[in-house]
Amino acid sequence: MAQKKSGDNINNKLQLVMKSGKYTLGYKTVLRTLRNSKAKLVILANNCPPLRKSEIEYYAMLAKITVHHYHGNNVDLGTACGKYFRVCCLSIIDPGDSDIINATPAGQ
Amino acid sequence: PSHSPQTPPLPSPNPPAAAQRSSRKEAKMVKFLKPGKAVILLQGRYAGKKAVIVRVFEEGTRDRPYGHCLVAGLAKYPKKVIRKDSAKKTAKKSRVKVFLKLVNFTHLMPTRYTLDVDLKEVASGAPDSLTSKDKKVGAAKAAKAKLEERFKTGKNRWFFTKLRF
Repeated sequence: MAQKKSGDNINNKLQLVMKSGKYTLGYKTVLRTLRNSKAKLVILANNCPPLRKSEIEYYAMLAKITVHHYHGNNVDLGTACGKYFRVCCLSIIDPGDSDIINATPAGQ
Repeated sequence: PSHSPQTPPLPSPNPPAAAQRSSRKEAKMVKFLKPGKAVILLQGRYAGKKAVIVRVFEEGTRDRPYGHCLVAGLAKYPKKVIRKDSAKKTAKKSRVKVFLKLVNFTHLMPTRYTLDVDLKEVASGAPDSLTSKDKKVGAAKAAKAKLEERFKTGKNRWFFTKLRF
């Protein structure tokens, strides 16, 4: 029950970020934002290929940026972002009005 | 809204436009592509070789309008030295061949290791030292001397072992 609730919360927060904040979608840009430390939070879909997942987690470990493993595959993550394409990884640069950054580190 | 009193705001390397906002938030950003970082080259002739970042060009230069850095890497790793080796053999086996290269960040894999080797002379000559052949060779020789002496001290052993793949 609590699991389902936090799933919804993430979706709502993501929606708010899409509307009011800055973000990038996609592996290449995620790495770029990790490299220049612009990213505040990185979200990975659960069917992200394990090598790519490890690589992003390693970069995030170096940059001390939290990674959130989304409970859903890339299709779901794309839908949660309001896009009509699949999104495997995304990085939030500026959360705008959302408090997704503060809420997630507990959840991970 | 999101100002937590526990963590003090760290000095953040962001451009001044966003400085106001980032100093307010908990600046959890750590730049890790800094001089002294050990990296592995992913592309090019030296793919799979380890290198150390000497100098970083964050915003790029006019010739290279992308983030890149000057790395000094091991073109040839030193061979395995065993106790049985004579002094002459040890000296021969401990030799390294160094390369200097300007590499795009996307062609590097950063690691958690660092190599605090003083490569200041190499770094200062940086952009122009790679244009002419003799300057490049001179800089490479300086880097080679530094890296060889670091290898001989036995520190940073990971850096001087070949990456098996």
